[in-house]
Amino acid sequence: MRLINAEVLKISKRRPLMIWCLLLTVGVIAVVEIVLTVLHGVNPDHHGPAGGASNFRGAAETLALLGTVVAILIGATAGSQDVANGVFRDLVVTGRSRKTLFLVRLPGAMLVLLPMLGVAFVVAVVWGLLFAGHDPTPSGSLIGHELVYVLVFTLVNLVMAVGFAAFVSSRIVIGVLIAWNTAIAHILIAFHTLGGARKFVDVAAAEHFIPGSSGDRVAMSTGAALLVLVVWAAAFTTAGRWWTQRRDA
Amino acid sequence: MRGVETVIETRALTKKFGERAAVNGVDLTVGAGVAFGFLGPNGAGKTTMIRTLLGLTQPTSGEVALLGLPQPTKRAEALARVGAIVEEPRFHPHLTGRQNLKIVAAARDRAAEARIGESLERVGLAQRADDRVKTYSLGMRQRLGIARCLLADPALLILDEPMNGLDPAGILEMRRLIRAFVDEGRTVLLSSHLLDEVEKTCDQVAIVDEGRVIVQGAVGEIAARGEPTVLVEVDDVAAARRVLDGRDIEEEGSGGLRVKLGDGVTAAELNRLLVEAGLAVSRLEPARATLEETFLEITSRLEEHG
Repeated sequence: MRLINAEVLKISKRRPLMIWCLLLTVGVIAVVEIVLTVLHGVNPDHHGPAGGASNFRGAAETLALLGTVVAILIGATAGSQDVANGVFRDLVVTGRSRKTLFLVRLPGAMLVLLPMLGVAFVVAVVWGLLFAGHDPTPSGSLIGHELVYVLVFTLVNLVMAVGFAAFVSSRIVIGVLIAWNTAIAHILIAFHTLGGARKFVDVAAAEHFIPGSSGDRVAMSTGAALLVLVVWAAAFTTAGRWWTQRRDA
Repeated sequence: MRGVETVIETRALTKKFGERAAVNGVDLTVGAGVAFGFLGPNGAGKTTMIRTLLGLTQPTSGEVALLGLPQPTKRAEALARVGAIVEEPRFHPHLTGRQNLKIVAAARDRAAEARIGESLERVGLAQRADDRVKTYSLGMRQRLGIARCLLADPALLILDEPMNGLDPAGILEMRRLIRAFVDEGRTVLLSSHLLDEVEKTCDQVAIVDEGRVIVQGAVGEIAARGEPTVLVEVDDVAAARRVLDGRDIEEEGSGGLRVKLGDGVTAAELNRLLVEAGLAVSRLEPARATLEETFLEITSRLEEHG
């Protein structure tokens, strides 16, 4: 637990990173909700209520997307900062196993990410319920599904970023993973000629967890989607752990 | 682990990068409770040797034991009582000195965290402990590196070029610290290319070059291995030079001469030569051999044979 706390300390004391992460999660959701509320208050005929099920879904899916960017930022930092700052060898000479030094980065990064996501999600839920007006409020089931989607999408990317950054020892993975999530994976999914092979794209598997079928561009079972995501996370974790154990410190 | 007589022992330790051997069949023995200098020119393989000892890089072949414990099988047990600075001390620059120590303490046993305050006191950083490391000078980072070593209550400290970047006052302070650690019964292995520093700080030394330990032993003994030299003062230096032509002579600043006696020649014979030439010898005394002279002699001999 002390090592996990140390990971949290290393990440959370990076002020610019924390400011950006808070802005991209809590900040964006809060600003969007406030703007929608003001617009509805000023002109209710043209602008519907800020809350309700529909707006909640929009907010939650925005959070999943931006939360993924934040997860990549935090994960890449957690995975690379010891080596980048030249401190890794000082941790190795304590006698702690390299495997442990790598693995504690995962819960450490999660403990930084989850509170931000949690607060942003609560903001979205509260707005969805309190400012629904005449629109239907989000159901418990919808809230639960959206929460699962946000967590699955962001945590898988967090784990991938930690492993990938440890493997390449650089925060260049931030650009690579954001490009993958926002463009490359979507281009691959759009290639229908790839057929069933598209199931192996993590973004396609994550989309399976979007409540409703609208986002599910590649049909697959929940088990298959889960398996694909676990394999992606495991592959990146294994690569990061392998290189952390093998590299010269 | 207490009562261990040999804190570092290597047998035929070799580390190769491709075909090049950075550490080449090194047999090294470092006894407990001494300051041991690992002396050699830049690129001699000192840092690679230290990295190999600490398991930061895997040896190509050979055996290592730290604090009497074979490596890497008893690695965690041994390193729990070892503090080390490898190359320049590095830290998370966005964290304070205290927070940086907290991170390393978390990787050690619970007692390490309780030692943070006293370690900072010991190196004189208590007042700046809550400032970010990015505001520290190199000297302060060196001291913070020592504080980080002390978290382990180390039986063995391994310091790689600890005097680098320090001003004269800092060097003096570092020397005092190292001697204080030895007085407490700890062993300090320090690598350096600064001969003077090793001579002033260490009890024992190993001279390394091209990945090999050329010689090891007590500093005084190794220094004494140099060619016998005498300091001579005469009334006519130019005439003395002519009389001693063919010998290795250096002029001293005070107007005297530093003369290497060479094989089989004694100070008395040298005196006789000068007196017979009509020179008045006002001073003739053996020069204290320095480690520097021995080191240069050894390495130049190697170059000749190479």
